[in-house]
Amino acid sequence: MVRLKSRYLLCEVCVSDRRNLSLLDDRAIYTATKAAVARAHGDYGAALSSLGFSVKYLNAHTGIVFLRCRKSHYRLIWSALPFITSLENRGQRVPCFLNCLHVGGTIRTCQKFLVRYNTQQLHRMLPLCQSEAERSEIRKSVLSCTLKKEADDEEEDE
Amino acid sequence: MAVFMDLNITYTTDKKRLRSVIETAAHLGYSTVAINYVVDLQQKKQVSSSVFPGKSRPIKVLNRLTVVASDPSHFRPNAEYKAYDLVAVYPTTEKLFHAACMTFDVDIICVAVIEKQPFFFKRSPINGAIERGVFFEISYTPAIRDSTMRRYTIANAISLMETCKGKNVIVTSGAEKPLELRGPYDIANLGLLFGLSEGDGKAAISTNCRAVHLHGETRKTALGIVHTMKKDQPLTERQEEEHAPVSKRAKIETV
Repeated sequence: MVRLKSRYLLCEVCVSDRRNLSLLDDRAIYTATKAAVARAHGDYGAALSSLGFSVKYLNAHTGIVFLRCRKSHYRLIWSALPFITSLENRGQRVPCFLNCLHVGGTIRTCQKFLVRYNTQQLHRMLPLCQSEAERSEIRKSVLSCTLKKEADDEEEDE
Repeated sequence: MAVFMDLNITYTTDKKRLRSVIETAAHLGYSTVAINYVVDLQQKKQVSSSVFPGKSRPIKVLNRLTVVASDPSHFRPNAEYKAYDLVAVYPTTEKLFHAACMTFDVDIICVAVIEKQPFFFKRSPINGAIERGVFFEISYTPAIRDSTMRRYTIANAISLMETCKGKNVIVTSGAEKPLELRGPYDIANLGLLFGLSEGDGKAAISTNCRAVHLHGETRKTALGIVHTMKKDQPLTERQEEEHAPVSKRAKIETV
């Protein structure tokens, strides 16, 4: 059966100092990734990354991005991701880096991984809480992490 | 999940920046990092202050010394080397590279990434190093900073891979800022650019790094069997409990 297979790269945008600079949009990530692939792999890379490549999902609070690319070329695009050093957004430049967490064949598998990852992050945040109200808030969110509603309402503090 | 290690974090005198680099490494999933003190041959040796920036997450911090050398006599003031967990050498001439592979008591040999390699790799010293359990290190942060460095890094890495067939290679960052670190899976993928196969790429940041760590530990013990420990520090005590299985398991015998 002929089927167009794709790979979804689940990445996290790590910004160094300011949480407020997570007001990114998907156009910025799209252009940054295309530029990085073009710089690293030349015209061949630029052509490949124009084929099946798109940014499927972006969460500005936690910095999670889903990138979609063709299965035959995802390694090439993935190998150019470490060379991204900053993102442009409406004239201001945000220094950051992309950290790839998971590669999945469908959005659903990436979502399952994301739910597990978020619960791990919440568990990590629990000993760092200052007040009891925050602690109970986190416990409630951990218990309510399911696939049905994508509950990532916490910022990771880093 | 395997343990990922990043064995090259450049020491800066700015403690806050060092601490943020280590915290970013912990966030990315590294279980162990090593702070690298670089010693150039002209300068006098730095003070080895083992800075442990407070274990907020259980990440292990090691010390590592890199000696930039161009003459065999500059290497080997033996006493201070015991204070470091890992010892590395950065040879700048072919003779020194040969000597470092065959005879020097080091764990890591750094491959030049910021300049074109002035000498070619030959198979015989590299095979000798592989048998002794010495690892070759490629650092990726210059490749992120600058495009010319990127070319040198990839060229030198590929010529190394051709000679050593992908064995005994570790890939580390040389991070000075927290934004220069990259996650472990990204680095394993960078190994593909350097000519490593997929399994070798993953090994380069997990199992090979662990082997380097064990190699460094057995350098402190005598042939990996006897271990001395300071009694007043609880940290060394904890390491000592790990040493009983480690010294039996250490497959690398030195000197």
